[in-house]
Amino acid sequence: MTIVFFYLYAVMALAGALGLVMARNLIHAVMSLLATLVAIAALFLLLGSQFLAAMQLFVYGGAITVLVLFVLMLTGPQPEAGGRSKESIRLLSVGLCVVFFGAITWIIAQANWQVTVPQLHDTASIATILFSRYVLPFEIAGLSLTIALIGAVVLAREDDVMDAPMPEPLPEDPAPSPELADEAGEPA
Amino acid sequence: VITLNHYLVLGAALFCIGLYGAMTSRSALRVVICVELILNSVNLNLAAFSAYVAPKQAVGMNFVIFLMVVAAAEVGLALAIIITLNRTGDINAIDSFKRLRG
Repeated sequence: MTIVFFYLYAVMALAGALGLVMARNLIHAVMSLLATLVAIAALFLLLGSQFLAAMQLFVYGGAITVLVLFVLMLTGPQPEAGGRSKESIRLLSVGLCVVFFGAITWIIAQANWQVTVPQLHDTASIATILFSRYVLPFEIAGLSLTIALIGAVVLAREDDVMDAPMPEPLPEDPAPSPELADEAGEPA
Repeated sequence: VITLNHYLVLGAALFCIGLYGAMTSRSALRVVICVELILNSVNLNLAAFSAYVAPKQAVGMNFVIFLMVVAAAEVGLALAIIITLNRTGDINAIDSFKRLRG
């Protein structure tokens, strides 16, 4: 019975990942990613960790997806789905990824791990290790998350609020066309 | 019966799809969500190893929690950078940005 569910969620995860790569519309891409994340949460449940499944849904399915959608809306319309790379680059990437996948699969087939039967990890067993052996990494992780989010706030602030001088606009920037400038100037 | 290899191959496939997306996409946002996919495939691998190889201790599960923290920090910073870049250029042509080069 579990194998049916495993293949169901595996197909769901792969389909979501392919949709993420293929979708022209970025909102569709984020929704495909959401399907993958939910499928991975279900796979965590199959692996016997309810806590990780819940965290996967909260952190990825909830927070990160909403954050990405929020920025997607903030940055305005996305014409041409973010554009496509050149055909040669895409072919090269496909080849590289297929070779990489083949190499990993070959290594997995060669390896001989001492496998036992998976059993349910209750939340207490995770917490016991997290707050004893890994308490220092836990604190460092919290600190780094705080620093990263403060840095994100500083980065995303409006430039004119900051003391630093405005960065030079990119040379690729389309200069305001003279006709527009004239029209704006006429009423005055 | 599902074996460890099932999960590892699935993780590898998700990793490679995410890698392909991150390499070929020209949209900054799509690169970020492809990196999220890569991190998720690693999470799946860690949880599978933890469940199958060392089920007595939940060490791999703890690694997954740390990876989620790192991923949250990473996506927060990346989206802040995207918002900043959006003010001065086209975030749909991420390969034309050279300003972070130092």
